[in-house]
Amino acid sequence: MDPTIAALAKAAGLDKVLAKFPADIEHAAAQAMGHAEAVKYPTDPAAEPWPPMKAETAL
Amino acid sequence: MTELHWLSATEIAKAYAERTLSPTELVRALLDRIERLQPRLHAFIRLDAEGAMEAAKTAEAELANGHVRGPLHGVPVGIKDIIDVAGLPTTGHSKILVGNIATKDAVVVSKLRASGAIVMGKLSTHEFAIGGPSFDLPFPPARNPWNPRHHPGGSSSGSGSGLASGMFPLALGTDTGGSVRNPASVCGIVGLKPTYGLVSRRGVFPLAFTLDHVGPMTRTVADNALLLDVLAGHDPLDPGSAASNARHFGALLDRGVSGLRIGFVRHFHEIDMPAHPDVTAALEDAERILQAEGAIVDTVTLPKLSEFAGINRVILCSEAWSIHAPWLRERPEDYGALARRRLLPGAFMTAGDYVGAQRRRAELIAAVNDKLRDYDVLMCASSMDPASEIEDAAETARTYPRQARAPFNVTGHPALAMMSGLSHNGLPVSVQFVGRYFEDATVLRVAAAYEKAAGWHKKRPPI
Repeated sequence: MDPTIAALAKAAGLDKVLAKFPADIEHAAAQAMGHAEAVKYPTDPAAEPWPPMKAETAL
Repeated sequence: MTELHWLSATEIAKAYAERTLSPTELVRALLDRIERLQPRLHAFIRLDAEGAMEAAKTAEAELANGHVRGPLHGVPVGIKDIIDVAGLPTTGHSKILVGNIATKDAVVVSKLRASGAIVMGKLSTHEFAIGGPSFDLPFPPARNPWNPRHHPGGSSSGSGSGLASGMFPLALGTDTGGSVRNPASVCGIVGLKPTYGLVSRRGVFPLAFTLDHVGPMTRTVADNALLLDVLAGHDPLDPGSAASNARHFGALLDRGVSGLRIGFVRHFHEIDMPAHPDVTAALEDAERILQAEGAIVDTVTLPKLSEFAGINRVILCSEAWSIHAPWLRERPEDYGALARRRLLPGAFMTAGDYVGAQRRRAELIAAVNDKLRDYDVLMCASSMDPASEIEDAAETARTYPRQARAPFNVTGHPALAMMSGLSHNGLPVSVQFVGRYFEDATVLRVAAAYEKAAGWHKKRPPI
């Protein structure tokens, strides 16, 4: 296992998972990277994330 | 008369009013059917036969005295097992919560009881509404009534399986990345993810706060509107609840679609994620039917499915990790393998990933709103494939993410999936309709017109 991934897992408190299910840790790290890479971040520095979710009544 | 187990809620209410059916007669018939089909379909985690019969007797006495509690008085309903029903376990289909007895009803269950509905029991789900279908959990996974070798979708899998097999006419599901609409799509029923905030989530075990919705699942569009009428309403104690006056969701059901403008998002199933030919053919048929009914259908473009999916996953994994981290650290072996694998990526997301996804989310919402300025409703695929065989883990893993439902969890717009045909091997395929915020009634209007013209709701699984 990539030592960086193992270190991140330990930092997240996942020592038990690391010991019992190491393949799940490797899979999770790869998944997280894949999901994050699929997101195009806004180019406008002023684009705000607030509120995180609210359906507006008017378009 | 239609066999009792296929009666819609609307038909049941009419039969009660005409005194041609009683609640105990109906509940007894459904319990007999459940007893016969449950060993093959596993729709229930916990059937509350005693509680249902007791409630039926009460409803019968009240109706006999002319006391009608509400539009669902004496109508049976199934509840997904992440939604609290007082006195029954809420397990989330997980070993983690076995023995977790709910002390009070979720708000949606309280509303159902106030309108007179009869709770039949708790229904199978994917573990914590994310890990499934799985065979390493305390309860078996639900199966598809159209062919029990196939999965019934999820995560509201028992809701879909039980409705399609005639175990109950109404059910509650939840939808964070498509979990009401997936079983609706592959079981041939109707599932609505309402506008974000329209239905309270208090008393529902969360998966991802800014993506979670509770939604009505039914066999007909009219029943879906009826159930939403009961469920909708502001809850000041649910932080996501909206102060909306939207009501009377069935008011437009008979209006048809003549003159309505429908934007067909073809690139989802033609380019971004090419669909199974049976799904594509059924979508083309749906377009022709709506045009024949007088709708104006144009092709429209939204951002790519992959981007919606990526944002849904970053937000879902990050928020779900914040809920499950303590158990994942201390009791990882008590999760099924699929739930553990799907929840752990949240540990590797950064704060920047989450905030960046939320910032981009606002732009995607604006893109969908922009199209809904020109169109009353959007239509698109829901599932890109018919249901795979439930024991074919590789094929299920390949086809499960092939869907166009998550975009509308990201944006919060109301989205409904329903049957649009049968595949070459006799499994349901589907279409999805999406509307403006709080215009759930317009989504239901289009769905009702399509249902009436297409007639797929009259098909029953060969079970």
